[in-house]
Amino acid sequence: MTNKKITVRIQRFNPDTDQKPYLQDFEVELAQGMTILDALHLIKEDLDGSVTFRRSCRHAICGSCAMNVNGQNMLVCETPLREKIDKNGQITIRPLPYLPIIKDLVVDRSSFWAQYQRVKPWLIPPDNVPEKEFRMSAEEVAALNDAEHCIMCGACYSACQVIALNKQYIGPHALLKAFLRVLDPRDADPRARLDDLDKGDGVYRCHTIFNCIDACPKGLNPTKAIETLRKLAMKRQAFEAARKERQKTLDKPVN
Amino acid sequence: MYKSTGFISFVLRRFTGVALVLYLFMHIWVIGGANSGAETFNDRMEFLGSPLFRIAEIGLLAAVIYHAFDGIRLLIVHYFDVTEYRKSLFYAAFVVSVILTIAGGLPILLHALEG
Ligand code: HEM
Ligand code: SF4
Ligand code: FES
Repeated sequence: MTNKKITVRIQRFNPDTDQKPYLQDFEVELAQGMTILDALHLIKEDLDGSVTFRRSCRHAICGSCAMNVNGQNMLVCETPLREKIDKNGQITIRPLPYLPIIKDLVVDRSSFWAQYQRVKPWLIPPDNVPEKEFRMSAEEVAALNDAEHCIMCGACYSACQVIALNKQYIGPHALLKAFLRVLDPRDADPRARLDDLDKGDGVYRCHTIFNCIDACPKGLNPTKAIETLRKLAMKRQAFEAARKERQKTLDKPVN
Repeated sequence: MYKSTGFISFVLRRFTGVALVLYLFMHIWVIGGANSGAETFNDRMEFLGSPLFRIAEIGLLAAVIYHAFDGIRLLIVHYFDVTEYRKSLFYAAFVVSVILTIAGGLPILLHALEG
């Protein structure tokens, strides 16, 4: 049996020669077990070497291959090609929306990383770092809601309509990271973090559109993180006091 | 454009919110007519009594109802952990709004057609 031919439509844009982006069709044979990234590689290697895209790990962990496929953001390295072919035998691949295009499927993520830096994504350790290890309870870990699984792919950020209108907004990825640090019992300065998130570009800028949840390839929930941060920001003084108390026993086993 | 039910709800919310603000200006203009005496007020009321404005009133009703139920939907999301049901909540708010708009809009329409 010969393999079915499908049409891969890729949005092309070369800033040196093109006025605006356009779609280009490529015919590809649909092979067993092929991912969308496999199709892109096939096109680049056999049909047109100038097709430009980012990828690294091919294992859904580096976050560099997030693109917009048939209108949804996803990691192309983990998505089977077969799943995304429409009834006309077509699949349309565009760069992540709402971000400046560098070339073809590669976008400029500067604002994404700038907002990430803004929330100080690292852990601020307490003065009394335990000699052996930090002890957290199962509840404390569960409350983090898997936020540490984020791979910084930008799918949520570029799906967010608030980001589309306002690049000053911190954005779902960085707010999720801030949530991870604020809720971490080891973090020594949740108060300063909440002070910053409470500002105009912070948690109240979210319009609860939910595109971040729909877009996240890791099934994470930035909206819920933002709702939690809003509530904590309102009682940050009490929260800070509770954290100080908690940090006195970070080296002791809990429950 | 990132299309999703969330996007539709955001556009509808903004559209109805701005429409309501614009309506408010007109509303103040009509009611404010009373300051200039009964005649002005009656003139302005009559202007709004035309069939065209009757029909536009159905649009106003739709905007108020949808905006209010969308607001309630958002309050529910803010106070309860229900992001999992985000699509169902949107559909619920939308369908309830459509039903109430028909229930309230039909009498207005019939009245407008009677003249
Ligand atoms: C029935 C009572 C109402 C409720 C429950 C309600 C609720 C809401 C909520 C929850 C938002 C969303 C804020 C956000 O995007 O995060 C909103 C936005 C808005 N509302 Fe209302 N509202 C009501 C009546 C009104 C009225 C009477 C007006 C006009 C005079 C109005 C004008 C607006 C405007 C302009 C926006 C901003 C839309 C946007 O930013 O996209 N609302 N409302
Ligand atoms: S929250 Fe999800 S979509 Fe957003 S950057 Fe992290 S992994 Fe990507
Ligand atoms: S190539 Fe690394 S996440 Fe897809």
